[in-house]
Amino acid sequence: MYSSIIFKEWLKTRRVFFIALAVALLVAVYVILRTNSLINEHGIVSLWLSMLLKDVSYVDTLTYIPLAVGLALGIAQMVPEVAQKRLKLTLHLPFPQLRLVAMMLATGLLELLVIYLLQAGVILIYDATIFHSELVGRVFLTMLPWYLAGFIGYLFVTSVCLEGTWYMRILLGLVGVAVLLVMFLQPTTMAAYNYMIVTIVVFIALITIFSFGSIARFKEGHQD
Amino acid sequence: MLNNQESVISVRNLTQRYGKGRIIYSDLSFEVPKGRILGLLGKNGTGKTTTINILMGYLRPQSGECRIFGESITEMRPETRARIALLIEGHVQYAFMTIEQIEKFYSKFYPKWKREAYYELMKKLKVSPNQRISTMSCGQRSQVALGLILAQNADLLVLDDFSLGLDPGYRRLFIDYLREFAKAEDKTVFMTSHIIQDLERLIDDCIILDYGKILTQMPVDRLLADFGMYRFHTDGDIALPEDAKIINPGKIRNEVELYSFDGIDYVRHYLDSNGVMYSDLERAPMSLEDAFIGLTGKY
Repeated sequence: MYSSIIFKEWLKTRRVFFIALAVALLVAVYVILRTNSLINEHGIVSLWLSMLLKDVSYVDTLTYIPLAVGLALGIAQMVPEVAQKRLKLTLHLPFPQLRLVAMMLATGLLELLVIYLLQAGVILIYDATIFHSELVGRVFLTMLPWYLAGFIGYLFVTSVCLEGTWYMRILLGLVGVAVLLVMFLQPTTMAAYNYMIVTIVVFIALITIFSFGSIARFKEGHQD
Repeated sequence: MLNNQESVISVRNLTQRYGKGRIIYSDLSFEVPKGRILGLLGKNGTGKTTTINILMGYLRPQSGECRIFGESITEMRPETRARIALLIEGHVQYAFMTIEQIEKFYSKFYPKWKREAYYELMKKLKVSPNQRISTMSCGQRSQVALGLILAQNADLLVLDDFSLGLDPGYRRLFIDYLREFAKAEDKTVFMTSHIIQDLERLIDDCIILDYGKILTQMPVDRLLADFGMYRFHTDGDIALPEDAKIINPGKIRNEVELYSFDGIDYVRHYLDSNGVMYSDLERAPMSLEDAFIGLTGKY
């Protein structure tokens, strides 16, 4: 049964997954080429100094990419589920309903994680060949909030899709937009969100509750 | 209860409203006996789909109790859900799957899965196993949904408006397969349809819902035997006083039509005692649809 549930989620998301992965890797390659070109133009020392002294980030091209990937994957996964109230079919499956929703979300989050790890991996492996490990760490911490924003965007868009009433969809959507605005207050400053990474991770764990709330309301009959 | 058989679905004092507004029905009670095919009939807005949504756990009723296989629907276990096949209005299925993928997907959930029942029906459709459901016609999708229901081999089949969007050929195919399956395997079926004449070939028992209440619940053959449509000719204007046993009288020009459970002698007595001048009083042949119209009225 577990494999069947993952199979269903994969069928819905595989096209978006591969497109998103391709885009993410192309952006990573672009970031590498751009950094290379800056090194050729100004020299590696100039790059190091601007990163250390001016907090300049050379990975800012991918700022909104993880968020866009998260939103696209969430929509690809949940819209077929709620169109024509197909969610009724899913909730009728002889499988514990909360576990079923948790598995759907886990599949989506895992796919996002794979895309993010591959993209970040390509960039960080390249950076490790030209930067000191401390600077590589700072690049990672600069990118990390963008990836976390991708998870947040995914979880909000899934809860909005699973929600049965327009009132709650708008409310959840507004909360999601507000949270994401906070996540991008200082988007290109290096490691600007260091002090609240743990808080954001805890927050991500908490907002998974929204999707379960949407399902609970659907089962109560809150459907437009 | 229709007879002394074991009940598969039991509904007690169910009350439901549209939000906080109009009551859909109050204190609705009925049972669906094991091994019977029961049709829930009613005009639009009488609560047929609402009842199915409540029974399947997609809507919490304002009050009342529903049990399926003796288990409260609010705490239905996955094992009990495995015994119920559900057809959603419009034959909705996972349209992003192919014929082959959807069979593989469902087969893992149901212990009594009968793969051959599904593929036997798919052969008749002459579609490729790799064809995506979203590219099929409504009629073909209905056969996929039916094939999945047959393969699930559930004890209870719940079908919400199976005839929606189907042409007569597919409706007939659906009905013939379903009836043969249900009778051969002793399955219980609870269904709704807005095309009453389809159900006449299919159902054993019917519940006729009107706004807010059940008008009748009985076997179809008994309904058609006991409930009569009476016609007579009259000259000029006549008044037909209200009578609890005379249902939905209507007059078009000089022809009058009325319905009753109480036989032609009672109708004759009613007309005579009210001084109605009439001729050619007869009990007209009646279909289930006529009986439905007779009970619920044309408007």
